[in-house]
Amino acid sequence: MRNLARCLIAYEAPEIRSFETEIPAGFPVCEKLRLHLATFMGKTGFHTLLARSLVLSIEEVPWLGAARARADDSLEGLEELRAQIDPEEFSEGELVVAAQLLGLLVAFIGEKLTLRLVREVWPEVPLDDWNSNEGRNNEKTN
Amino acid sequence: MKKRISSTKLRLPARAVSLPARVMIHEIPTGVRGLDDILGGGIPEFSFNIIGGAPGCGKTTMAHQIIFANATPKKPALYFTVIGEPVLKMLRYQQQYSFFDESRLGKDIRFVSLSDVVLEKDLNAVLEEIMKQVADVNPGIVVVDSFRTIVRKASATIGEAEMQSFIHRLAVFLTGWEATTFLVGEYAVEEIRNNSLFTMVDGIFWLSQVTERNSVVRKLQIMKLRGQASAPGLHTVRISNSGLQAFSRTLGLGGGKTKSLRRRRLSTGIPELDKMLGGGILEGDSLLVAGPSGTGKSALATQFIAEGIRQGQPGIMAIFEERPDGYTKRAGTFGLDLNAAIQKGTLEALYLRPLDLSVDETMQEILDAIKRIGAKRLVIDSLVGFEMALAPGFRADFRESLYRMIGALTAAGITILSTVEVEDNFTELAFSHYAISFLTDDIIRLRYVEIDGQLRKVMAVIKMRGGNHSKDIREYVITNQGVVVIHPRRTDYEGLITGIPRRSGPRLAQQNEAAPEPKASK
Repeated sequence: MRNLARCLIAYEAPEIRSFETEIPAGFPVCEKLRLHLATFMGKTGFHTLLARSLVLSIEEVPWLGAARARADDSLEGLEELRAQIDPEEFSEGELVVAAQLLGLLVAFIGEKLTLRLVREVWPEVPLDDWNSNEGRNNEKTN
Repeated sequence: MKKRISSTKLRLPARAVSLPARVMIHEIPTGVRGLDDILGGGIPEFSFNIIGGAPGCGKTTMAHQIIFANATPKKPALYFTVIGEPVLKMLRYQQQYSFFDESRLGKDIRFVSLSDVVLEKDLNAVLEEIMKQVADVNPGIVVVDSFRTIVRKASATIGEAEMQSFIHRLAVFLTGWEATTFLVGEYAVEEIRNNSLFTMVDGIFWLSQVTERNSVVRKLQIMKLRGQASAPGLHTVRISNSGLQAFSRTLGLGGGKTKSLRRRRLSTGIPELDKMLGGGILEGDSLLVAGPSGTGKSALATQFIAEGIRQGQPGIMAIFEERPDGYTKRAGTFGLDLNAAIQKGTLEALYLRPLDLSVDETMQEILDAIKRIGAKRLVIDSLVGFEMALAPGFRADFRESLYRMIGALTAAGITILSTVEVEDNFTELAFSHYAISFLTDDIIRLRYVEIDGQLRKVMAVIKMRGGNHSKDIREYVITNQGVVVIHPRRTDYEGLITGIPRRSGPRLAQQNEAAPEPKASK
């Protein structure tokens, strides 16, 4: 999932630079997914996935333990953390959370359907050469 | 100058003044095999329907089959999920079915969660959200799953009149937008009576699970369908990897051909038996072979099917008691190579022993096989095994169902040979336990008789609807050729059908008679 998450983060980064004057409070990839998935699965559904992703990420990125998913699905404490943490480390945090979120989707609905949802949000991003071998093993081999 | 038209010319032809044509209600397919026939063609377009029933009956799966069968990019399906089953779980499970095509999600099929609106706001807001989404997407099909949840949540704060108003506005809006709607909900049968929702909808698709002893069978009833005649009663439903499949209880009752007056006679593969039958079984007849265990019913059935294949008439063997390989192996000992016919596609062995089988499913399996290979002959071996494979609830209707099945198959021109095991007793000659002789055209009875200190076998043609037949009781043996009729009618015995005949003729000098059956002498 890391490759996919990295690909999406890289795609989002120049967009932020060109359109945003300030750095967004949350993780842009998670935020874009939220806008799309909340219609599809409801706010509660997305909130649960985000909160779970955050918990799963803490083992890899301990400083994320200070963040918390709010009811509106923004990440509480992220603004303060951004100021304290090295930008590279912060980016790593975003990568891990996004990868966990995508991983959870794959675990529930499979890779094909997850990629379909991702394509709906980022239709321009080429995902065909994305290597899925690193993800959770939830796919049936037909 | 105006031309005068005579009054006779002004008179319009009768057709021109006839009433305007009635509206044509288009039917949309359900995607559920067998259901379109039950509905009388399909679901009336723009109708407002309920798919109701207890949990686990297949309501959501049916709704998914309908959307996958109909949604197009131009007229997509809009699937509103409401609390109940979260959409992620729904998709997780639904994608296991073969009809599920994830490439159509987002384009033809769109899922929208109404959970937040339902939880946080009132019915007006729910209606507004539905209207907004429908206006955006312009769907051909709308599903609300579960509608019951919306109603339950709102019922705590509003009255019946307000609820009716909501349902009415929803129905009017969705019909106005030319959408065919399905409200999915968990309801109990007793809730139907005092619930205005069921009065307001155009169609009620009711799914249930019927439990009897250890068996559970899914059923479907079309309780209501405005605009067209559906098949009445409870129809069996099975859920497999392909989703729901419905088996109409009226399957085969309509549209059958009447038997032609000039029918061929088909050989049984046993020349002497053909003679007893007046030349063979009449094409399209149903023949019942009744006899106790070991009298050669299955052997006779094998010869019948093998003879058909030899004559270019493909066959189906619906086997309930033994495995097909045992069947083909035994045929091999008679010099009949059934495996070659199976490989060639002129013979199909249906081994039907799933749990809780219904006659309708069996009939569908057989009809499908007949269609596949263009079968002309069918063997059902045996009716006792068939009955045992049925769910207990279906056994009560076995006779009625069998009547329907045999009627449908013979009307399609299939010649059927069914076997039935009957116990020999020494006071009467029973044909079967089921009193089903009325539904067969011809009956052959096999039985054991005690002659000269040996247990021998005799056969007689009891009944032949389509013509005359031999009245002889003939002795037969089972050799490496199969069933072989040996002796001509015996006149030196009386009471053969009792099983304990009395000698009426002179006793011939007794020889050390070798057993006539090679099988028995080994």
